[in-house]
Amino acid sequence: MAWPNVFQRASLLSQFSHHHVVVFLLTFFSYSLLHASRKTFSNVKVSISEQWTPSAFNTSIELPVEIWSSNHLFPSAEKATLFLGTLDTIFLFSYAVGLFISGIIGDRLNLRWVLSFGMCSSALVVFVFGALTEWLHFYNKWLYCCLWIVNGLLQSTGWPCVVAVMGNWFGKAGRGVVFGLWSACASVGNILGACLAYSVLQYGYEYAFLVTASVQFAGGIVIFFGLLVSPEEIGLSGIEAEENFEEDSHRPLINDGENEDEYEPNYSIQDDSSVAQVKAISFYQACCLPGVIPYSLAYACLKLVNYSFFFWLPFYLSNNFGWKEAEADKLSIWYDVGGIIGGTLQGFISDVLQKRAPVLALSLLLAVGSLIGYSRSPNDKSVNALLMTVTGFFIGGPSNMISSAISADLGRQELIQRSSEALATVTGIVDGSGSIGAAVGQYLVSLIRDKLGWMWVFYFFILMTSCTIVFISPLIVREIFSLVLRRQAHILRE
Amino acid sequence: APRAGKPPSSPTATGPGPGPDALRGGAAGPGRASSGAPRERKMAPHGPGSLTTLVPWAAALLLALGVERALALPEICTQCPGSVQNLSKVALYCKTTRELMLHARCCLNQKGTILGLDLQNCSLEDPGPNFHQALTTVIIDLQANPLKGDLANTFHGFTHLQTLILPQDVNCPGGINAWNTITSYIDNQICQGQKNLCNNTGDPEMCPENGSCVPDGPGLLQCVCADGFHGYKCMRQGSFSLLMFFGILGSTTLSISILLWGTQRRKAKTS
Repeated sequence: MAWPNVFQRASLLSQFSHHHVVVFLLTFFSYSLLHASRKTFSNVKVSISEQWTPSAFNTSIELPVEIWSSNHLFPSAEKATLFLGTLDTIFLFSYAVGLFISGIIGDRLNLRWVLSFGMCSSALVVFVFGALTEWLHFYNKWLYCCLWIVNGLLQSTGWPCVVAVMGNWFGKAGRGVVFGLWSACASVGNILGACLAYSVLQYGYEYAFLVTASVQFAGGIVIFFGLLVSPEEIGLSGIEAEENFEEDSHRPLINDGENEDEYEPNYSIQDDSSVAQVKAISFYQACCLPGVIPYSLAYACLKLVNYSFFFWLPFYLSNNFGWKEAEADKLSIWYDVGGIIGGTLQGFISDVLQKRAPVLALSLLLAVGSLIGYSRSPNDKSVNALLMTVTGFFIGGPSNMISSAISADLGRQELIQRSSEALATVTGIVDGSGSIGAAVGQYLVSLIRDKLGWMWVFYFFILMTSCTIVFISPLIVREIFSLVLRRQAHILRE
Repeated sequence: APRAGKPPSSPTATGPGPGPDALRGGAAGPGRASSGAPRERKMAPHGPGSLTTLVPWAAALLLALGVERALALPEICTQCPGSVQNLSKVALYCKTTRELMLHARCCLNQKGTILGLDLQNCSLEDPGPNFHQALTTVIIDLQANPLKGDLANTFHGFTHLQTLILPQDVNCPGGINAWNTITSYIDNQICQGQKNLCNNTGDPEMCPENGSCVPDGPGLLQCVCADGFHGYKCMRQGSFSLLMFFGILGSTTLSISILLWGTQRRKAKTS
C-alpha cells in the first residue's frame, strides 16, 4: 500500500529545481563550517595546553626561559586539559541556551540575515580566541571563558536557521530521506575541521583557528549573497501550497490521531500578501504544539548518549583497549558513518510509512541491544568498528532524525501552517533541550566513569535510551493506532 | 687619525651578525656587546638633503665620529686603568691580524666588536657587571687578580672564547672536561680550546621535543630550537603565507557570491 507514495516521490525528485540543490548545499556547508570550527578546537587541544604551560622536561642542560617556560597560565598540562574540558562544558550550556533564543529570533527576523550574522560573528570570536590572543601574547582564563560563552550563543544561530530553511524548501513527502542525507553535515564538518586543523597545525595552533574562522566568515558572506530562505522569495509557491494540491502527501506526519479523521484539506494558495502577513509564533505557543515537549525530552536523553559517544569514544578506546589515540580517533569515524546511513535509511522508511515514531521506537529498541553488544566488544579493531557502525546506525540515526526531519515536521504541522513562522523556534526548542542533555551528560559520564567504571557508563546509556522510548511512547501508540486504522480503512474500501 | 679615513662599511652592522645565536634572545645576544659607539653612529646619516651639500658635513662628521669612537669604548674596556701590556697574550693575539686594534684594555675589530680583553693586574674580585659586554671575545686575560667564588656562571654565552688566562689558584670554568688543554704555570693557568659537550654526553634525549643542544660558554649547554623550528617550545615550523591564503579565499568567496547572487537571489524580493 505504501509503494505508490514511493513512485510519487520519484516524480517529486524531478520537481527539484536548481534552487533546491543550491539551498541543500548552502545549508549543508554552512552548518558543516560551524561544526568544523568546533572540531578544530578539540583537534588543537594538545597544542594549546602546550602553549599555556611551562616545559616539564627534566634535563641538566639549561632551558632558556623565553623558549621553554615563559608561559605560566597553567602549571601543568593536566590542569590545562581540565580547563579545556571546562570550556567544552561552558560552550555546550551557552549553546543550549542560545538555541532557545536564536530560534525565536530566526522566526522574527530574516533567516538569511540571522544565519549570516551568526556565522560571521562567531568566526570573529573564534579568531579573537585562537589567533589574536596568541599574537598579542595575552593569555587570560576569564577572557577565554567569556569568548567561549559568546561563541556558544552565536554558533547556536546556525542549526535552527538551516533546519528552518530546509523545512521551507523540502516538503514532508521526501523529508525523511532528504534530511537523513543532509544531517551528514555535522560529520562532514568534523572531517573538514580535522583536515583544516591538521594541514596548518605545524605553523602554530593560531593558524588552525585563523583558517577555520576565515573560511567560516567567507561562508557567512556567501550565505548572505546566495541563500534563498524560502521558495516564496522568488515567487514560487510554498511547499504547503504545492502539497495541498496533491491528494495524500499533505497529510501531516505528526498529528493527533483524533485530528486525522476530521481533517479538512486546506486549499489556500500562498500569494504575496499572505507572505507579508506571516507572524512568528511565541515561545510558549511553540512549546504547546503537539509533539514538541515529548520530542524535546526524548532528544535530551538521546543527544546525551549520542554526544557522549562523540566526546568519549576515542578516549574509551585508548583507555580500555590501549589503542593509540590517533588510531582511536580514526576508528571513531565509523560511528558517524553508521549515524549517516541510519538517519537516511530510517528517514526513507518513515517517509514510506508516513509515520516517524514507530521507526524511531524500533531503532531505539535495537539500540539498547547494540549498546549491550558494544560494551562486550572484543579487543579487535575490525569487530569493534563493525559494532560501532551498528551502534551509530541505531543511536545516531534516530538522533539525526529527531533533530532535523522531525523538528521540521513539528514546526510545519497543520495547526500553524498558514498563519505563523514556527520552524526555527521549534527546532531551537528541540535541539536546545538536546544540548542541555548533552552538557549534563558530559559531566555525568566523567563522574560515573571515575566512580563506577566504564561498564556503568554503558548501563547509563542504556537507561537513557530507554527513557527516550518512554518519552515518545504516547506518540508511538497513537501513530501505530492510526496506521492500523488506515490499513483497516484501506481493506474495507477494497 | 687613521680611523677617520676608513669609515665603517655599513652603519647598521654592529655585531658579528645574527646567526643561529640570535635565537638565544636579546639580552645575551652579541648585538648588545658593542654598545655605545655603533649605536650613535646609526643616527648620523639621517636627515634629508641633497648629496652634494652633505659631502663637507659628512667629512666633518666622520672626523668627529673617529674621535667619539675612541672616547665611547664599552665600559668593560676602561674598567681597569692603563692599557694592554705589550707582551701580554692579548696584545700578541691582536697583532696577528692587521684589522684588529688595541684600545685601552680591549682588542677590537673595525666594527667595534671586542675580540680580546686584558684585565690582568686590576685587583678584581669578580669580573664585574659589565663583563657581558665582552661576550664576543676570543681571548680573555684575568691573571694577577684576587678572584673569588665560582666562575662557572660568569661565562654564560661566551661561545667564541678560545683562550682564558686565570690566576694560578682559580680553576678553569666548567672543569677539565670543558677545555681541550689546561696548562698550569707558576703565576697563571691557561684554559685553551672550548669543547662542545653536546656531542660528548651520548644521550640523544638531552633536550625537549624539537629542541637541540648548543654550547653556551665553557662547560655550559642550552637547548634552543632545532633547525626549522621556532616559537614557544619550538612547536612551530615554517611560516604561513597569509597573503596567499587570503588571496585564494577572498577570490573564491567573491566569485561564488557573484555566481549565487546572479543565479539565486537576483530575482528575489528583498524582505
